[in-house]
Amino acid sequence: MELSDIPGGYFLEKEENSLDRLVLDYVSVLDGTEVKYVVVSGYVAILFGRSRSSEDVDLLMEKIERKKFFRLWEALSHRFECLNTRDAAEAYDEYLLYDTALRFSYPGRFIPNMEVKFPKKTIDSWTLENRKKVVLNKKTIYVSPIEVQIPFKLFLGSEKDIEDASHLYEVFKQRIDIALTEDFARRLGVEKEMRRLMQ
Amino acid sequence: MKKDLPEIDLKELRKWKKRNFKERMGWVKRYAEWLKKTPNKEWSRQQKEIID
Repeated sequence: MELSDIPGGYFLEKEENSLDRLVLDYVSVLDGTEVKYVVVSGYVAILFGRSRSSEDVDLLMEKIERKKFFRLWEALSHRFECLNTRDAAEAYDEYLLYDTALRFSYPGRFIPNMEVKFPKKTIDSWTLENRKKVVLNKKTIYVSPIEVQIPFKLFLGSEKDIEDASHLYEVFKQRIDIALTEDFARRLGVEKEMRRLMQ
Repeated sequence: MKKDLPEIDLKELRKWKKRNFKERMGWVKRYAEWLKKTPNKEWSRQQKEIID
C-alpha cells in the first residue's frame, strides 16, 4: 500500500469503491453547509484496504442548531433520502437529539447508507476534535484518529471489530502514537486485547 | 493531536454499547422487512454493488 503522511493526516490514491463514492458524496454536502464531521468505525478500516464491505458507514457530525440542520436537510435532499423519516423536524427532535442514528441513502436505495449521529459520549467529542484528514484521490474525508479507532474496535469486541482493529494496527503500527493507543486501550478496559494485538 | 484525553465512563459506555447493539438489530430487522417486499432483481442489484 502506498500511503503518505501529510500534515494532519494521510494521502491515499486508490480505485474508489461504492462505499468510497457514497462517503465522498455525503461529506461534500456536509462541507458545503460547513458542518464538521468525522467518519468512524468499519469504514475507516475499509478505506485503508480491509477486504470486506459494509451496508453502512458511521459518521458523527457536530451538534448543530435546528435551523442549520434544516439547511443541511434541504441540501441533502437533492442527493439523498433519509430512511428513517421524511420530516426534518422529526429527524432532529426524535432521532438526533435522542442519540438515535439517521440513515441516508441514495434515492430509492436501502443499502449502502450513511448512519449519522451527534457526538454524545466524551470519546465522540474527542474523536471529532482530533479527526484526521485523508486526501483520497484529491478529495478530502475526515476520519477518526487511528489511536482511538483501534482500542474502540477492541472495546466493541465482535469478531469483525477485532479483525478491523488488527488490520488498522498492522497498516499503521509504524505511523501511530503507540503510547496514546495504549492509553485509550487502558481507558476502555481492553489492555489485554491490545497487548494480544501487538504481539 | 490534543493530548488532553477524555474522561471515559466505562459503565456509561457499556450501556451505550448495549443500546447501540439493540438499535442495530432493529435496523437488521427493518432491512429484512424491506428485503422481503422488494423484487429479487432490485435487492440483489443493491447487494451486488456492496459485495463486489
